[in-house]
Amino acid sequence: MGLWIAVTEASASQLYHDASFVWLGLPDGTNFVMGTLVSPLGALMLVVVNVVGFLVVLYSNEYMAHEEGLPRYYAELMLFLSAMNGLVLADNYLEFILMWELVGLCSYLLIGFFWKKPSAASAAKKAFIVTRVGDVLFFLGVFILFSSLGDLSSATPATAYAGTTCPGGVLHWSCLGFTFTPPNTNSSVPFLPANAAIEASNFGGSSWLPTLAGLLILGGAAGKSAQFPLHTWLPDAMEGPTTVSALIHAATMVAAGIYLLAITDIYFGFTLTAAIVIVGIGGFTSLFAGTMGIVAPDIKRVIAYSTISQLGYMAMAVGAAAVISDLTPTYSLVNGTPVLNTFTGVAMFHLFSHAFFKALLFLTAGAVIHAVGTQDLFQMGGLRKRMPITSITMLVGALALSGIPPFSGFFSKDDLLSLTWQAATLESTQNGSPLLYVFFALALMAVFITALYIFRLWFLAFSGDRSRGEAPAASHGAPAPAAPTSAPFASSTSSSSSSSHAHDAPAAALPLASSTSSSAPSASGAHDGGHAGGHDPSWIMTVPLVVLATLAVAAGFLPLIPGVGHLLPGLSWTVLGKCVTNCGAGSSFDLTDALLGSASLAFAGLGILTAYAFWGNGKVYRLPKDSPLLGVHSVLLHKYYFDELYDGLATHVILGLARGADWVDRYIIDGTIRGIEELFSQASKSGRRLQTGIVSSYAAWVVVGLLAFLVFFLYVVPWLVGGFHLPPTPGL
Amino acid sequence: MIVPISAYLPEALALAGALLTFLMDAAGVRQRSVVGGFSVLFYSLALLSVLGDLSVVPFTLFATVPSSLLSAGAVGPIQFTPLGLLWQAILLSAALLVAFASLSEAEGDREVPIFYGLLALATLGMLLVTLSADLIFLLLSVEITGISTYVLVAYARKDPRALEASMKFYLIGALSTAISFFGASLIYGAYGSTALARLADIPPGGNGTQMALVGLGLLMVGLGFKVTAVPFHMWAVDVYDGAPDHVSAFLAAGSKKMGIFAMIVVFVAAEDVVYTASSAWALYVALGGLALVTMTVGNILALQQRTMKRMLAYSSISQAGYLLIGLAVASPAGLAGATIQAVAHVLMKGGAFLFVAAMATLGIGSRIEDYRGLGHSHPVTTASFAVLLLSLAGIPLTLGFVGKFYLFASAVEKPGLFVVLAIAGLLNSAASVFYYARVLRIMYMVEPPAEATSERRWTPAVAHLADPGNDPSAPPSSAPSAAVAVGESTPRAPAKEAARSLDPITPLSRSNLGMRLRDEVRTIGIARWTAIVLCAALTIILGIYPTPLIDLANHAANSFFSGLP
Repeated sequence: MGLWIAVTEASASQLYHDASFVWLGLPDGTNFVMGTLVSPLGALMLVVVNVVGFLVVLYSNEYMAHEEGLPRYYAELMLFLSAMNGLVLADNYLEFILMWELVGLCSYLLIGFFWKKPSAASAAKKAFIVTRVGDVLFFLGVFILFSSLGDLSSATPATAYAGTTCPGGVLHWSCLGFTFTPPNTNSSVPFLPANAAIEASNFGGSSWLPTLAGLLILGGAAGKSAQFPLHTWLPDAMEGPTTVSALIHAATMVAAGIYLLAITDIYFGFTLTAAIVIVGIGGFTSLFAGTMGIVAPDIKRVIAYSTISQLGYMAMAVGAAAVISDLTPTYSLVNGTPVLNTFTGVAMFHLFSHAFFKALLFLTAGAVIHAVGTQDLFQMGGLRKRMPITSITMLVGALALSGIPPFSGFFSKDDLLSLTWQAATLESTQNGSPLLYVFFALALMAVFITALYIFRLWFLAFSGDRSRGEAPAASHGAPAPAAPTSAPFASSTSSSSSSSHAHDAPAAALPLASSTSSSAPSASGAHDGGHAGGHDPSWIMTVPLVVLATLAVAAGFLPLIPGVGHLLPGLSWTVLGKCVTNCGAGSSFDLTDALLGSASLAFAGLGILTAYAFWGNGKVYRLPKDSPLLGVHSVLLHKYYFDELYDGLATHVILGLARGADWVDRYIIDGTIRGIEELFSQASKSGRRLQTGIVSSYAAWVVVGLLAFLVFFLYVVPWLVGGFHLPPTPGL
Repeated sequence: MIVPISAYLPEALALAGALLTFLMDAAGVRQRSVVGGFSVLFYSLALLSVLGDLSVVPFTLFATVPSSLLSAGAVGPIQFTPLGLLWQAILLSAALLVAFASLSEAEGDREVPIFYGLLALATLGMLLVTLSADLIFLLLSVEITGISTYVLVAYARKDPRALEASMKFYLIGALSTAISFFGASLIYGAYGSTALARLADIPPGGNGTQMALVGLGLLMVGLGFKVTAVPFHMWAVDVYDGAPDHVSAFLAAGSKKMGIFAMIVVFVAAEDVVYTASSAWALYVALGGLALVTMTVGNILALQQRTMKRMLAYSSISQAGYLLIGLAVASPAGLAGATIQAVAHVLMKGGAFLFVAAMATLGIGSRIEDYRGLGHSHPVTTASFAVLLLSLAGIPLTLGFVGKFYLFASAVEKPGLFVVLAIAGLLNSAASVFYYARVLRIMYMVEPPAEATSERRWTPAVAHLADPGNDPSAPPSSAPSAAVAVGESTPRAPAKEAARSLDPITPLSRSNLGMRLRDEVRTIGIARWTAIVLCAALTIILGIYPTPLIDLANHAANSFFSGLP
């Protein structure tokens, strides 16, 4: 169904919008509408959600077959899918928020699917609470927008600003200027100065309020898309079933934050500060999360960090697009009306390709976990021969993630980097600020890191001869002696040294160098898949893998399909500087772009080579005991101590605040309420006596009321009005 | 303009229902299913036709009022307006609800045809009120309903409480009617006409204005009796308490709404248009004060009640106060709010009294604490009742919330001091949660008594009427009269009592639940069970998606002010 809508949309080349369903009308004429809006971006999202959703459900049939509570699993999964579709089709903030909360709820439920495991339950709670922080910010942002722009009638600047009346009610995107058309149809008129004034007037003349609203909305997106500093929930969310990780925490829900930023991109186009903050957060997160991925021992967590990092890329691209819209707005004619060009298509392109290769990575990881029964990378190894399909499809995913042509990640990442470069150049030439170059550099470094961690994962899992997990719990219970080698990263020579980390307790996971306890090989495993087996799963699971692998390749060529170009606004599909399709007016070859592309390719290649150097033989590397990098390693393994920081915050600051609030609640609010109750009770007791049950007293009360009215109308009113002749003339 | 005879279809059906019922009585046909079935059929047809007149989509086929009639204005003492038709639908729903639920009452005695016949006559009066274009016609129609309901309260002739209630109702009613007609005569004196449309004009002469104001004040007293406005409310508690439960439901859901509508047509136009020059605020203040006092006193007194029906009666009084806000504001939004709240009130109060009736037939006592543990033994009906209570308290996602929201919002919107009404309404809503929540707590969180002792349920009936708080420590001095009483407070059905005490709180299992549900439907009676659940369901559905209702109400309210259909 989603596909059908998407295809129709692709061929219709315009918005489908139905806002006829009025959900709730307020007495002042404000209508809250539950509308349907299929925008090009939404159509793209629909494809992602429904294709990945279908494949994941198919995959679940085998993967989840041994679990208890399957009806619950499928019910929650279906609820998630419908809510996600609703989110994409929402045409206003209110509806969006409802669906946004619904997907958040499903995420909570599904992370906690193995609710008997304490770690899963606490991970679910963590995900819910951390995203809730973002949600609150998001709501505040929407409140600002609503109070500033929402209650304007059709004659006020807001609609001139939006270029149309507001057919879909006040919370409709178009009323907030999201489907923007300049007031003057002459597209050469630079609209920004004029409209900047209008915009300020919409916010009561305030210039910081729109920026604040933008930043608050960004906060919501950061919570949902696990951007720094609200990223901590996503790695823990891997406690959920792998299928859920693939669908919700890689391909769809976490991308909702990016989608939100993308559809509100024009808004950010007016608030340069907010746009630059987005670029900054995105660029920083991409590197920051990637570094943590290098040391994580859990296969799923590595991919989770990778997801955070990639989402950082997308955020950065959205921000860069907004910066460009802000600094050099351009228009194109759509059905005769000039419409602001946006470049959100670049971010959406990466979202699109990422969804497939990341779902692929998760599902292959799931296949591995299914086969070997552990999520600990250090217990895997040598699976290439026994699981050829899994190994090859995962290799495809890894290559796509690293950005190696012709896999999809290359094209989307290349476009995204060049867009950021463009924005950085604009910012530095127009405003003289080199800030964006810094973020660009971070993102470029992240390319290297990406290749490094994902190939570390692949080599550890598939390369080598045999699974370390199968090795007899042999020789040493003592720490692996620091092998005296010259390299800074020492290779622990014994492939038989089995280091079994409890995969679900990362905080307890030891630094590699001192990893000890070579006790039972697989102390923990979510799945009962036999170790000895370790073979490819059946077709139910391999078909989704193969399909996703195909898509991971094909997604890169999406812009080449005729007719879908407009799904990706502002995307010019370039390969190493050579523009192939949807080119702008500029030259078809761009040297800077070519250099950038080559650089990113080189970085990726370097990353793969480094990974090969360390882990190419499929063995676990250990740092020497005296290595200066141990400290770094420990910091990375502890995820920069963010959990501890937040825990500390929560225990001390928040708890203190909560105590204060509790005091206020107990003594002031409750006191007031009790006071009211007491008052009413007393009044009630005394009032009850009047109800005597004697009918003549009732009649007396009627007469009292009658007299009150008579006095009021005969004496009080005339006295106050000074009007009627008093006393009443005999004629009455 | 000649009114086609078909336009009177609902009224004709009500009248035919009454006549047919009495004929059947004479012919000796007294089975509840037959007599009641005809009534339900007639009300359903009438409701369908009214809904058709309102252009509610699937029923347009049944429309009988030509649309030209809606803009024709008054034809003699009759006028067809969208607002009137909408209120016709509301009143008919109340009648239908009660008639339908009464099918589950214990099988007939001689009184069955009397009950349905009087119900039909009362309904006829209510329908005529909605058509009134003339003050005298209006008051006469009100009296048709009034007299029918006086008798209706006492139709169970052997219940002394019902007889006492009927007598009180009648005496106070007579007093109010006298006051109403005196007010009408003053209005006639001021305008030289009793056409309601004239109320929107300024009466000739300075004294005329005052005379009109005094006349309106007297009408406020007379009609205030019908809507149980404080201080004209005192009859209501005893009557709701003493009357048979289904009659209480009809009084709260039906005849009170009729009073509200009568007040709308008399006062709102006058308020909005008239007296702009000198004393525009006088009517506003009078009605606003009435609303304020009514909702506050109703809520305060409800807090202390220990009997379910008396609590509901006081809550009904406070609800009337909320409805009066819409009249005091007298804007299209306020009128729409009052209309929505009226729909909500029919469902809430109708359903709630029917629930009380159902519990009474199960032998459960009339005091609030007798309802403990019902959430476990009767899950579906109790949940429905809980929904209705939440709606009464105005919790979001129920229709009660939408209605109150509209009423308060209209008060906030109107410039002037009307915001006071909204604030008072909010405070009152907050206070009302106390007594609604207490019932919920008792039904769900308190274990039922291990052994259903009949002493505990046993309340002296006459003392019970005299002492409104129904003090549990009151000595059972009037034991003889209690023994005579047929009210639900006496242990009259030991078998059912025993059946209930067999309902232990066991963990819900699937088969158990199905069995329990079947048992619940069987003991309460399918019609009554359906009616209660339907009320709750509509409360929720319209609470979540109120737009169709809001549209209807807005349209009707706007047309009331503009005169356009």
